Amino acid sequence: MKRPTSGHPRHVSRRRFLAGSVAATAGAAVLARAPAALGQQVRELQVWHTEVEPQTVKTIQDTSIAEFERKFPGFKVKQQALGWGDLNTKLLASLAAGNPPDLTHLNPFVTASLHTKGLLRPMDELIRALGESDIHEATLKLQFFDGKYYGVTHAIGATYFAERRDLREKAGLKAPETYDDMLKLAAALTEGGRHALQMPGEKLYMGFVHPAEWLASNGGAWVDAKTWRPQLNGRAMLETLEYLQKLNRFMPGGWSGQKYLDTLAALATGKIAMAHLSGARTIGYIERYAPDTMRDPDHFQPMFRPRGPSGQKGISALDGENWGVFTQSKYPNEAFEFLRLFYKKEHYLQYCHTVPIHLTPIFKSMIGDPEYLANPRIKKWRSWHDFMVTGLKGARFLPIGFSRPEDNLLPFLAELDGSGIVADMIVEVMVGGKPPKAEADRAQKRAEELLAQLGFKRWA
Amino acid sequence: MRKNALAGWLLLAPALALLGGLVLFPIIYNAWLSLHDKHAFLTVQTFVGLRHYVYFAHDEEFWNSFYYGVVYAGSTMALQLVLGIPAALLLNEAFRGRNLLRGVVLFPYVIPTIVAVMLWKWLLNDSYGLVNHLLVTTGVVRVPLAWLGKDYIMWSLVLTSVWQFFPFVVVTYLARLQTIPPELYEAATVDGATAWRRFMHVTLPQTRNVLFVIVLLRSIWMFTKFDTVWLMAGEGGVSRYIRTLPVYAYARSFTYLQAGMGAALAVIMFVLLLVATAVYFRVFRQEEALA
Repeated sequence: MKRPTSGHPRHVSRRRFLAGSVAATAGAAVLARAPAALGQQVRELQVWHTEVEPQTVKTIQDTSIAEFERKFPGFKVKQQALGWGDLNTKLLASLAAGNPPDLTHLNPFVTASLHTKGLLRPMDELIRALGESDIHEATLKLQFFDGKYYGVTHAIGATYFAERRDLREKAGLKAPETYDDMLKLAAALTEGGRHALQMPGEKLYMGFVHPAEWLASNGGAWVDAKTWRPQLNGRAMLETLEYLQKLNRFMPGGWSGQKYLDTLAALATGKIAMAHLSGARTIGYIERYAPDTMRDPDHFQPMFRPRGPSGQKGISALDGENWGVFTQSKYPNEAFEFLRLFYKKEHYLQYCHTVPIHLTPIFKSMIGDPEYLANPRIKKWRSWHDFMVTGLKGARFLPIGFSRPEDNLLPFLAELDGSGIVADMIVEVMVGGKPPKAEADRAQKRAEELLAQLGFKRWA
Repeated sequence: MRKNALAGWLLLAPALALLGGLVLFPIIYNAWLSLHDKHAFLTVQTFVGLRHYVYFAHDEEFWNSFYYGVVYAGSTMALQLVLGIPAALLLNEAFRGRNLLRGVVLFPYVIPTIVAVMLWKWLLNDSYGLVNHLLVTTGVVRVPLAWLGKDYIMWSLVLTSVWQFFPFVVVTYLARLQTIPPELYEAATVDGATAWRRFMHVTLPQTRNVLFVIVLLRSIWMFTKFDTVWLMAGEGGVSRYIRTLPVYAYARSFTYLQAGMGAALAVIMFVLLLVATAVYFRVFRQEEALA
């Protein structure tokens, strides 16, 4: 039976609507794939990195990517800027699916883990082309395994204290050299509603990055070099835990629930006198949130880490992810070509200038280059740049998560970080007020179990 | 007859395939995975039998997580009832603006979890949060409380969760309240029953079944809740004090990178909920029989 038609002139029957929708969808699909349908092959080079500042993303797009796409017309580069946490999760999923990006940033402590699993490609040829002897020693061999390079650092940053220099000088104290000096300084800077310092509450920092620094600053290490047995209840860590328990008195009660960026805001707005985790990014916060008359290096300065009673010198983390190319990458050769363009001087300088000092060039020839130093922010905050150079010269930096240079060979640092075992110990001792020895023993037991489960137990 | 049966099975086949693929397969695969040592992103796996289960039986972290999970699920569920039932009773009464209020009460439930948690974290922040500002300026406390610190993080999480999920209780309970015949209340009133007695002897018995479902669903959902808990302190050191079983399972799979152990935790949670649900059903049926 024929359906009665509506008198409405714009009536569309359901059948016609469905047919139209299907046709439209098919058309859209064909159009989206038009280049492929027309026989033109469009290949996409997937590039993931951790520099999320909009100006950095734009600069990469306008320099390296633009030139790459001109040189390789069949290619389109798709860059994705991701925070650390997001990058690791996404990488994990892509590796599990067998479809990782062609080129990505990796943290040095993850690189060894990936290398031992055979997931990374060597890049010796690229390193030689970039100038092996010109790459700063602090980063050159971070991804050097079995006589080959498996990564190249994108830029050098460092973590350190950012202090209210004016307040310290007013108190008549020098920058602290030892844990004891630090406790005295913290006591002197705690007054009124202001706390002396604040640590970031994120597990990654307070449970991995800083503990590595503390171990390195107090003559300790994550594991025994030969047997890989964890050293979490060794003297270096125990002395540190006792120091931290005392230091906790000078920090806001809720610090473990706050984030790294909260600490920078607290420093800029005068709620604390020292931010435990700082880098040149702090300058941005100071310029945005500090009182107008205080936005300068006379009030805000970087400060090196103090050393522990068993240590030689205070060590800070070197913040510099490396580029890595996976064995499963679809276009490895093009990924290496992209890197050559990325490090081309005119592109690279622009890249480093997007977050000056935080993105210090990896090339020794460029660190003191007048063209690099001509940037207005570097000019104004020159003492922060000089601090970086002093730290590099004095070997005051170790890559993030490393307790000693040889840690780049440990294939389980990513898992140790992820487990939160060290973070739990630090929180229980500092915030929970638990006895350091008992907590260190508990962490040691958990870490031993973890390494055994992962198949890295070498001790008897 | 046989032809009809075949046609029936054929018609059922898509639904069965969907159920099998989306429900049964993941459960079975997860159980199978829990018997293996499996790195999260490597294809190699080694059969280890029940070793993971034995490990968790002695794992302090597991028992801590179980404890936090019970505290969280128990307290949030109880508070959702305490808040949700009176709110539903109120919204069942006739008063001006009732329809508007019924819409407003749904608001926490319809906003995305990320927004709800960020909102509460902002309100409770001890440096710039509004809650502390009000408490300090009104003289209730002298120094700001660390709501997101060790001592209060669980209660901040409970507060956020109750705020977010109590509308479910309101809506479900209200729906049942609206179907209770008014004659029952009229008869009770004629018999001289006070409001409290009407609630105890008319409302509660009439809403008994819906309460059973609410308690069951909310308990399961709160015990397996991941997003709210994770967003509250997932990557923070303080997460230690609210690390419930789903968060621990996630951590084992994706941060310890031990997918087999994560799968074992998921199986344990599944079995725990299955047992708890069976006991709950049995108790309810016994009480129903007595009533």
